[in-house]
Amino acid sequence: MSTLSPLQEKRYHRNTQLPGVGDEGQLKLLQSSVLVVGAGGLGSPAAYYLAAAGIGRLGIADGDVVELSNLQRQILHFTADIGRPKVMSAADKLVALNPDCHVVTHHCAVTAENAADMVSQYDLVIDATDNFPSRFVLNKACLVTNKPFIHAAVLSMAGRVMTILPNQGPCLRCVFREPPAPSAKTTFELGVLGATPGLAACIQASEAIKYLLGLGDLLVNRLLIFDALAMSFEVVEVLRDTDCPDCGSGAQI
Amino acid sequence: MHIELRVYTGLEKYVGVRHGEMTTVAIDGTLTIADLLHRFDIPPAEVTSALVNGRHKELDYRLQDKDRVSLFPPVGGG
Repeated sequence: MSTLSPLQEKRYHRNTQLPGVGDEGQLKLLQSSVLVVGAGGLGSPAAYYLAAAGIGRLGIADGDVVELSNLQRQILHFTADIGRPKVMSAADKLVALNPDCHVVTHHCAVTAENAADMVSQYDLVIDATDNFPSRFVLNKACLVTNKPFIHAAVLSMAGRVMTILPNQGPCLRCVFREPPAPSAKTTFELGVLGATPGLAACIQASEAIKYLLGLGDLLVNRLLIFDALAMSFEVVEVLRDTDCPDCGSGAQI
Repeated sequence: MHIELRVYTGLEKYVGVRHGEMTTVAIDGTLTIADLLHRFDIPPAEVTSALVNGRHKELDYRLQDKDRVSLFPPVGGG
């Protein structure tokens, strides 16, 4: 594929008009691949925007099935999808949105055993998981395979986003060393406004496309943290830690 | 001796500040991050990460003059 088809010229017109994109940038997106791990509150909007933008190959990894309580925020899934694997429900919507996007489904949890192999098949990884153990596994797998890893997490009406480029800035464990205590409250107890993961995931999708096209300034060495109740967005400086167990000088990579 | 403190995502109520708002804390003698939490009655389980000047520090870290401290509670949903 060396040029956009007439239909693609139309479909991606608002992309190609952007500074620094053009037909060349769009072709680059169509030849790019992104793995979205988690097809829930973060993964739904992130995958929608990446598919719509024309990412050529989009991997969706999730071992769960759609539940009724997912539907107030996990916008890839419809009422009729209850009981179906989330990856199948996601693939249906994303392909219907953009047939240019080849969706690869991974109907499994991400584990220390399968993460590096899965991650190595893509140009970039989106953290759309809902737990720290999975995030730490992905963080390590992305360090090992030298893949950009775009982290986000949300709770209630708050969230944060951080882009990890291996060896160019802090990794997730430089900043968040240990999982929260088991007593820490989750979205099950504290709730989450559907638009909150939407906010974080839109930032993740923006970061992914910027990285793939080499545009702008990424959230590297910077943690974006927001509170939608106060509607306050803050950027906190974050630096690499030489004592980090995953990317520090003593880490086993 | 003074440090700059910023807290996020629910910890504001302990310190009496807005999300990310900087507050200056005066320190006499030595003060660890754990002592700082105690001073504001912040339960240690509600702090999942403490950064000092952008770098992760353990709760026994002794604060230095002009340190910039950021405290984050557990946020792990998706």
